[in-house]
Amino acid sequence: MSGFWSGWVKLLVVINLGITFFLFIMALRIKIPTQADGTTGHVWAHGVLREGVRKLPLWWALLSAAMFIAGFIYLTLYPGFGGFKGVLGWTSAEELQRDVQANNAKIEAVLQRHRGESLEKWAGNTAAVEIGHRLYLDNCAACHGGEALGNPVLGAPNLIDDDWLYGGDLQSILTSILDGRNGVMPAWGTALGRKGVNEVAAYVVSLSGVNAPADWVAAGKTRYETMCTACHGIEGRGNSQLGAPNLTDRSWLHGDDFARVTETIRDGRTGVMPSWRERLSEDEVRTIAAWLVAQRVPAGGRIHQNGHAKPTS
Amino acid sequence: MPLRYKHFEKIEKHAGLLGVLIAIMVSLGGLAEITPLFIKAHTVEAAPGFKPYDALRLAGKDIYVREGCYLCHSQMIRSLRFETQRYGKHSVASESVYDRPFQWGSKRTGPDLARVGGKYSDAWQRLHLVSPRSVVPESNMPNYPWLENAQIDGEDIRARMRVLQMLGDPYSDEEIHAAAAAVVGKTELDAIVAYLQGLGAANVSASKNVAEQDHE
Repeated sequence: MSGFWSGWVKLLVVINLGITFFLFIMALRIKIPTQADGTTGHVWAHGVLREGVRKLPLWWALLSAAMFIAGFIYLTLYPGFGGFKGVLGWTSAEELQRDVQANNAKIEAVLQRHRGESLEKWAGNTAAVEIGHRLYLDNCAACHGGEALGNPVLGAPNLIDDDWLYGGDLQSILTSILDGRNGVMPAWGTALGRKGVNEVAAYVVSLSGVNAPADWVAAGKTRYETMCTACHGIEGRGNSQLGAPNLTDRSWLHGDDFARVTETIRDGRTGVMPSWRERLSEDEVRTIAAWLVAQRVPAGGRIHQNGHAKPTS
Repeated sequence: MPLRYKHFEKIEKHAGLLGVLIAIMVSLGGLAEITPLFIKAHTVEAAPGFKPYDALRLAGKDIYVREGCYLCHSQMIRSLRFETQRYGKHSVASESVYDRPFQWGSKRTGPDLARVGGKYSDAWQRLHLVSPRSVVPESNMPNYPWLENAQIDGEDIRARMRVLQMLGDPYSDEEIHAAAAAVVGKTELDAIVAYLQGLGAANVSASKNVAEQDHE
């Protein structure tokens, strides 16, 4: 704070406290001339209202004095009197730093126990899982849902069904979260035509056991083998290096109905997982992965019944 | 003593004089708290990496204001541990120099947006603006479906940039000239997503849990 503004603030503070002090002394000492009826003689509303004279209540005077003194104490201890920093040397930045350090120490006490160990070990640490849950809700739930069941409208994968686009080991999960992922399914509508898209879609859904017209499936198989195998593989089991989904299971990233599948093939899809490196530390990401592992529901349970996430409500 | 009392009597009986003296007392706090910062505000320089909004983001910023987003979302991360842990480094004045008016807000119904840029994908932002509950079932944010169908007027944006240039934002004449072409075919949804994705993005890095001393 420059010299001028420091002086400006000091002057105003002195004026303010000075006037307050003056009023305080005056109010206690002043004698108000009274009339015979005990009022000041001030009348309002044609004499209906008259002004009485009473002593200042003691509690009021004491409270006022206490606040006045508190003003001095505050301005001595804390910054406020112009450029004077206060004898405590308090700053909001230092207070924040202290709070952050204290909080980091608490987290560190939880995390150091399992550092360098497997995800399953982490998942068994309830305190770490609880940290991971909070971080998940704040950072991940917007896309993957509060229960990590994914969102087929957005194409956000279910995270607890044991079907992983990019691999479910700790290192792959860390990479997915810290560096993000860009999944691209090209649009095949122009190359395949409307009939071709339907045929490939029929073949694709038949891979996971859904009934489809046999002639479409047969024609689709031929087209699939020329166009789709590079990413999804001959058997349609996908490729976790590319993030190409497994087409033979019942989990569908963008929804399982025929219209959605044709849409995916015709128009393509892009799936973006943002990079979290700037926002989350590796340890924090581990706690999120630990929470996910702790949530995992075995195949055949609630999540796998329909092949993809269904909102629970 | 009676003479002294006369002064009080005068104040008491003249409402105008009483009003003036009250105004002086009340304004002392404001003069001390607000005036120095008000003068100082003109000397704040842009944070490193902060540039004036490009054409599309500028359009998005004005839509943000028009739709009243600031009524539920703040763009002001306070220097409190639970806020810096959740949102990143606390906000500083030098990050708001190109916001006219600044969008700090004070009503925190929704999350703070000061560093929301890049936190979610563009696709999520689009879906979430048009239909928030399709991605966050418990959200109470309104739907903004009309953004998808409204086009940005390039000439309008150019005029806005010219005004900002007059006010001192460092736009070059070339940038203003190119503005209309930059927003051709863009919808209001494109614009506000571009705006949101740019919020604080330049300053997210190296900000986590770091409390930096503000420069006086």
